[in-house]
Amino acid sequence: MLRRLRMSVRRKVMLLVLGTTVSALALSAMGLVIYDLRAYERQWTQDLYLQAEILARASAPALSFNDRKAATNDLSLIRVRPNVLSAALYTNDGERFATYVKAGEKAPQFPSAPGADGYRIEGNELDMFHRVVEAGEPLGTVYIRARYLPWDRVLDYLAILGLVMVASLALAGALSGWLQAGVTAPILEVARVAREVMQRRDYSLRAKKSSDDEIGQLVDAFNGMLAEAGRRAEALREADRRKDEFLATLAHELRNPLAPLRNALEILRSARVDPEMSRKALEMMERQLNQMVRLVDDLLDVSRITTGKLAVRKAVVDLRDAIHDSVETVRPFIEARRHALDLELPEGRIAVNGDQTRLAQVFANLLHNAAKYTEPGGRITLSVAVEAGNAVVRVRDTGIGLDQGAIGAIFDMFVQVDRSLTRAQAGLGVGLTLARRLVALHDGTITAFSAGAGKGSEFVVRLPLAEAPRQSEAPARPAPTGDPNARRILLADDNVDFANSLGQMLASRGHEVHIAYDGAEALAEADRFTPEIAFLDIGMPKVHGYEVARRLREKLTTSECLLVAVTGWGQEDDRRRAWEAGFDRHLVKPVDARDIEAIIKEL
Amino acid sequence: MITLRPWAFLAPVLLLAASFTADAQRLEATEPSVKAAFLYKFAAYIEWPPASFAASDAPFVIGVVDSEKVAVELEKIVASRRFGTHPVAVRRLKEDEPARGVHLLFVGQRAGEHLSSIVRAAQPQGSLVVTEGEHGLESGSAINFVVANDHVGFEVSTEAAERSGHRISSRMLAVARRVVKKGT
Repeated sequence: MLRRLRMSVRRKVMLLVLGTTVSALALSAMGLVIYDLRAYERQWTQDLYLQAEILARASAPALSFNDRKAATNDLSLIRVRPNVLSAALYTNDGERFATYVKAGEKAPQFPSAPGADGYRIEGNELDMFHRVVEAGEPLGTVYIRARYLPWDRVLDYLAILGLVMVASLALAGALSGWLQAGVTAPILEVARVAREVMQRRDYSLRAKKSSDDEIGQLVDAFNGMLAEAGRRAEALREADRRKDEFLATLAHELRNPLAPLRNALEILRSARVDPEMSRKALEMMERQLNQMVRLVDDLLDVSRITTGKLAVRKAVVDLRDAIHDSVETVRPFIEARRHALDLELPEGRIAVNGDQTRLAQVFANLLHNAAKYTEPGGRITLSVAVEAGNAVVRVRDTGIGLDQGAIGAIFDMFVQVDRSLTRAQAGLGVGLTLARRLVALHDGTITAFSAGAGKGSEFVVRLPLAEAPRQSEAPARPAPTGDPNARRILLADDNVDFANSLGQMLASRGHEVHIAYDGAEALAEADRFTPEIAFLDIGMPKVHGYEVARRLREKLTTSECLLVAVTGWGQEDDRRRAWEAGFDRHLVKPVDARDIEAIIKEL
Repeated sequence: MITLRPWAFLAPVLLLAASFTADAQRLEATEPSVKAAFLYKFAAYIEWPPASFAASDAPFVIGVVDSEKVAVELEKIVASRRFGTHPVAVRRLKEDEPARGVHLLFVGQRAGEHLSSIVRAAQPQGSLVVTEGEHGLESGSAINFVVANDHVGFEVSTEAAERSGHRISSRMLAVARRVVKKGT
């Protein structure tokens, strides 16, 4: 069976053609033979019956008048039928009256008495009896013995069938030869090229097209597929190369801050602690730590981009706030590189529908790039304008600029303009990719311009303005008591150290802080003092954070409470679950105190 | 009933007749019975003028002159036999008796010199005359029995048959020993 399946297409087609031809011929021949055998018997017996009748009629007078000689003469008339072997006439009383034997035949065994009218087939011979009747008077019986050779006819048929089969075999052979040339050969050619491509990994190979029929289309499609496979292989190689470079950069970038951190630790550990020195060491540690946090954040964003899970949480925000945030973030770096920063912001509020944190990230990336790719002492300009329903933010620098060819690729993942950069803040090459994705999520565009290498570059972000700028603030909450900035805060975390230290920090800023170490306790505390903000761990004993959030949302007193999830899980899925449970914010551990302060300030 | 199942009815009679025929080939003594059988069988090979029969059930009459033996044998054969739709009757005639209504007239050898006059008298009546003996046909008869090699045969004169208004089947002529035609 397997062997048969492995046969070539040509063989299969030939087998098909032959099989159909031969079986059709055999079937029709069989039908013909059966029909003819029946027709032969009918025809032959009818013919013989006629002969017998003629003999009977001719020999009736001879029988009547007892004339054996005449009877023998009459019988011999049958010699014109060479198939008749012998014949006889019997009188009414069963006596054999006259006989005939075909010339050359042996004297046959005649029946001793006439049988009943009719015929009987015995092997290759047929016996027939026929009554002789004259004027209603029975006179005797004619007996005829004839050759009966239907198999001769069958053999004739078989011979003809054999000839026809040979002819059809030859035809099928010719047909399969034609198929070989027209169908199989091009397919084999395609298969050969496919094999060669697999072996040599050379996607530039193409199969030759020899006809315009379906096979030709197949060849075209195959060549098109090869081209596509080639493009993909090239793209994969390129992506792979970029990822390798990215990993190398990443390792390098993550390794860089570790040496200063270790140095600072050594300084702090040394016996003679100079307060001034330890302060500097701590500042350095914080800087390096921030750098690492930024790298890891970028890394997380990279994973979100590649998995398509990057999402924004939109609200109507003032674009100027986002820009201020970004400037605050990048300012230390800009200053470190001694750049001058010009900000050109319009007076009024610029309302856009977006995620303030993400928008700040976009501009921070642009500013960071500008500072990075400009020689120290350069000038960076950030301007905002409203044009045709769009907010347009331009970030210009006097840096190394861009090649015209590089402008298109600059937004691709892991692409860096100057790979020879060896500066500490070389980055991961994901900033612009991230920026473009984030702007796209805000229904905006980002484009790059440059007059050429060394002539500075400009990045332009266009964001649609929000339709109706909203002036009113969030709904009123219970009025704060005493200090207008003091808040009632609930902290729930089963990590006692984390809860206590954060609690102390917040209490020291004048807030009313209640701490719980499990979910049930958190709910009880919330009932007692109606918090304005609740920082909830997710993986708490008794009642987990999601459930606590849901119950707080259901209660009238805490339904307006700002709920912040504090968790070690930063995946997009975890954020979504948090939002579904009713959380307003999601912080990933380790939590930066500044993030917490920013959230409290929002209220 | 008889006409519906002729075979069953006739079988024993036929057997009897056939046995006579067979015997005649070997025994001189059965010569009259062979002649009787032939006489009866001649009827089938002769074309009878339509006027010969008054009705479809009118008898077919075979007349016998001067041969009591043949008449006796003939009576045995034709008893309850039919020629087509006609019953068959045997009538013994005297030499000078007119053969009116006789279809087939057999004149025995004993007629002697009266033969010619009997034949001449019978032919105008529409009777086909059968004779026996060496010079039968010369007397003007249509059929004449001859015996050679112990076998009974017959000779035919178509001219004589035509004179009495009959035609004899060529199939019968084929087995005749001699056929005399017009002008021969």
